[in-house]
Amino acid sequence: MKKRIVPDSIDPVIHERARLAIVSALAVSPEMSFGELKDSLELSDGNLSAHARTLETAGYIKISKTFRGRRPLTTMRLTGKGRKAFKAYLDTLRQVIDHSRADDGDDEQND
Amino acid sequence: MDVTAAQARIREVQRIMERTTLYTLLPGTAAIVGGFAALAGCFAGYLMIRSVDLADLLRTPMHTQIAFCVMWLLVGLFAVTQEIIFTTRAARRHGLKPMTRPARFVTLSLTPSVLVAVVLTVEFLLIAQPAQLRYIVPAWMMCYGTGVYAAGLFSYRLPRLLGLAFIVSGALGLLLLPQYGLVLAAFSFGLLHIVFGILVLARARQDGEQ
Repeated sequence: MKKRIVPDSIDPVIHERARLAIVSALAVSPEMSFGELKDSLELSDGNLSAHARTLETAGYIKISKTFRGRRPLTTMRLTGKGRKAFKAYLDTLRQVIDHSRADDGDDEQND
Repeated sequence: MDVTAAQARIREVQRIMERTTLYTLLPGTAAIVGGFAALAGCFAGYLMIRSVDLADLLRTPMHTQIAFCVMWLLVGLFAVTQEIIFTTRAARRHGLKPMTRPARFVTLSLTPSVLVAVVLTVEFLLIAQPAQLRYIVPAWMMCYGTGVYAAGLFSYRLPRLLGLAFIVSGALGLLLLPQYGLVLAAFSFGLLHIVFGILVLARARQDGEQ
């Protein structure tokens, strides 16, 4: 039976599925509008707003509110801290996979 | 977290990154320009054979037949070239590499169906019978639609709908209206592309305004 690994370093802010999706999208596109993110990630307005606020509070994204003509324009971009956190999260996932492979190797040797 | 969950998370991150890349690269302007190029091609084709029925190509002299084929080849080349230019510009604007992994997926999804359409076209032209010539446009519509639908699997819903529209209208055209080849081409490669491009641009504008 596979061992369950719970790394201490797992980031609860980024670990949530919708927030991970937002950060992943912003990792490849330097800046996205609220509408673009909502559309490409298929999130509701409320969902996206709530998760974006959490990420902003953690300092992972920067939300800018400007105007295009008379209409409000909300854009989001990943901060340096957010990019580091995203990289660290991916590294943690890779560690989980690597540890599991190493454990499998040890089990085979013991057999 | 177990290893299966970690692997699933990594796959999910990869999928979202690829989807976002394609979303930002989808060029509405290229679809509109391509649509107008197709409409111009249909109009020029009509002037050459004085009919909307591709079977009437057989009644024209050899030099007109060659000119008709070369004209469509040029329209196709123009459409592909401007698509590449617009996509590259969109990629640069978003700070992305033009030939990203998802862009390669799209190219690979479209290529087999376009190759099938080319082979069928050559075969239909070599047979040179009215019935076979009438199959050319519906065959291109269905093959292209299949490619666009497959490419749309890496993107969001709109390209998939375009692919489906091509497949359905191609099938209906083949079964019910094969003698209206140029009309079918104008509707699908012209009008559907223009509507698709307008929807993409409208969505981009709406997104920008939110």
